[in-house]
Amino acid sequence: MAVVADAGTLYGLLAVGAGLATGLAGIGAGVGEQGIGAAVVGVVAEEPGFLGKGLFLMLLPETLIIFGLAVSLILMFAWTPFAGIVTP
Amino acid sequence: MLRPVNMSRVVVAGSKDVISPVVEKLHELRLLHIVNYNGNQPGFEIGKSIGKSKEYSEDLIKLRSITRYLDLKNKAPDKTFPESQILSEMDNLLNNVGADVIATYERITAIEAEVKSKQDTIRSLNPLAVLPLPLESYHGYDSLATFVGTVTSPVDADVARVSPAHEIYTGSAKNATQVAVFVPAEKASEVSAVLSEHGFSETSVPKLEGNVASAIAAQESSIKSLEAEKAPLLKKLADIKKQNEDLMLATDEYLSMQTQKTEAPLRFAVTENAFIIDGYVPSDQFSRLKNELESTTGGKLEVSLIADKEAEELVEKGEDIPSQMDNPSVVKPYELITRLFAIPEYKEFDPSLLIFVFFPIMFGMILGDVGYGIMILLILLGLKKKFRTPGWQQLINVVMIGGVWAVIFGIFYGEIFGPLGLWNYAIGMLTHHEMAALQEAGLFFGEGVFGSLGRLGPLGVFPLYRLATNAVLLLIGVSLFIGVVHCSVGSICGIKTELNYGEKKHAYFERLPVMLFQVFFSIALLGLVMGQSILTYLGIIVVVLSVVMLVMGPEGPMGLAHVPSYISNLISYLRLLAIGLASVGLAYAANQLAFYVIMPMLSGGAHNSAEFSMLAIIVGIVILVAVHFINLLLGILSPFMHPLRLHYVEMFTKFYSAHGGGVEYSPFGHVRRFLKA
Repeated sequence: MAVVADAGTLYGLLAVGAGLATGLAGIGAGVGEQGIGAAVVGVVAEEPGFLGKGLFLMLLPETLIIFGLAVSLILMFAWTPFAGIVTP
Repeated sequence: MLRPVNMSRVVVAGSKDVISPVVEKLHELRLLHIVNYNGNQPGFEIGKSIGKSKEYSEDLIKLRSITRYLDLKNKAPDKTFPESQILSEMDNLLNNVGADVIATYERITAIEAEVKSKQDTIRSLNPLAVLPLPLESYHGYDSLATFVGTVTSPVDADVARVSPAHEIYTGSAKNATQVAVFVPAEKASEVSAVLSEHGFSETSVPKLEGNVASAIAAQESSIKSLEAEKAPLLKKLADIKKQNEDLMLATDEYLSMQTQKTEAPLRFAVTENAFIIDGYVPSDQFSRLKNELESTTGGKLEVSLIADKEAEELVEKGEDIPSQMDNPSVVKPYELITRLFAIPEYKEFDPSLLIFVFFPIMFGMILGDVGYGIMILLILLGLKKKFRTPGWQQLINVVMIGGVWAVIFGIFYGEIFGPLGLWNYAIGMLTHHEMAALQEAGLFFGEGVFGSLGRLGPLGVFPLYRLATNAVLLLIGVSLFIGVVHCSVGSICGIKTELNYGEKKHAYFERLPVMLFQVFFSIALLGLVMGQSILTYLGIIVVVLSVVMLVMGPEGPMGLAHVPSYISNLISYLRLLAIGLASVGLAYAANQLAFYVIMPMLSGGAHNSAEFSMLAIIVGIVILVAVHFINLLLGILSPFMHPLRLHYVEMFTKFYSAHGGGVEYSPFGHVRRFLKA
């Protein structure tokens, strides 16, 4: 197998990938929460008792970040096996 | 505990002349959950209210309007009143005090309206101040048209063109030119067209006299005198409120109780001489209800139990069996969380006990800091004295139990206000030399796994250092393990619930495969991680088996669509680790910033804490307090909301409210708060 890069560069690329995974997932979750948040504020203005449920609904898209984070963790900790395949 | 209380369907039938004592007794007992009569049975009518029902409702409306004017909120009682005192003081309260309140309130609203109209007048007078005319010269003409307003460019020449006879006054205001144009009435429309070309926007002129400045001053002085009249009135209302608060709430309670009693027969079925009440009573209370009712009425009444089979038929016709959650007092606060989602149906499980087991552990696992835990406990102890309504008390108790777990996990994690915080000072840290020795002995799994305590705690693992690689891996495992247990418990409840409803196919081919899938999927993962291929193969075989079962289930091949969500359910539990890491990260950053950046920098590069200057220490502490305070606020909200979500979305979907929410058992009667029994 061709050596694409040395171990340090590869590790750097993995770190960038991990960062993108969490970061982009965060943006996605933010976009999702934007609509929910606006709607919840609207409902709470009418009916303050909805605050608890509203806060909870706000949290639903946050699972996306967790998925991104899971991918990041896998990337970061899968470093050793990857290095084993790629380094000469 | 896991199930709502057993209920029995009862029928109370009696002669109409004992209806009032029966209602009185039922109200006092607070046992019977009345099923409203819908008027559909031939021969039975809906009952009519008894006694002075109309008067009580009228008084209640009067009282409510008074309390609304006083802005009186429901609160925990400071003192209680006997009913006789309410009766003797009610008249005075409703008529004299009430009339006073209403008059005062109406005067206040009138004053506010007047002040507002005067402020409007001032606002329209202000722009006129730049024109040299007294106010009376703007109106009262028959043959002249008046235009007063702002323009964007000079108008004199154009007005002169269409109307040779004219008079124009100009003054420059802040952003625009104010003009007053007087022309003969017959030229009005032409002049108006010309003015609009210059961006004319009209100003309304109040019908007042004298010069503008003195008119404004007069308005302002009358606003001042109105405000002076309003202040003592507001104080008077506040005084009345303070004096009568408890008495008013007690009267409200008394009147509500009376209306409830007098209007109760509206829920009964009646014939010419008899009445019938349908309802549910907790099974173990039936004999008490029967004895009490029958002894009050001296045999003119019959309380009978309906056989299970007949009761079942009623349920099929659409009658809801009320559910009363039955939990020991430690678990009670967690009913709040159940209730926020839905009341359990009679045949369903009441998940409060499960929430009691899992919720605080999850809270603690996420927050996991001795310092924050103790802070939360202290803050909540303070709040507990302040917010005394039952809802707040329950919420506070829920978070407090979580706080205790946060302290326990804080000891596991070795954190007091974050890693690098007080723990190192309180307990000490492993030296470099000792770390090297551990490494040689093969016991060192990366920096920090043995934590700042350094010595071997239980299992040789604790306290761990959450930011270390190995600790993260360990916590991923723990999170997933909690997830599998949590989801499985949910699935088991789901299977039993389906069996209770007699849906065998749903139980064994819809609920069971989910559990098998999730458990053996994680066993396969465990096999991969540990390198035990036998576990992996076993896991994969059962996962495939469970998928086959799903396809055979009620949903058929469509059931496959849910498979990804079973995996994402488990991944979702990673938030137990992730949210915690975020909060540790912030705490770590705060400590690092204060102790290793700000303090050395401000004391000229000193590295030893003894050499820090006074200024450095003060600034450092301010930063520490600010960042930790923010982190603590987040640390109460996130560890509360995220486990809540794990329960509602990941666990409840497995078993709860598949059949729609239940009806809460609310027995006929009233809890006395302000009234003495």
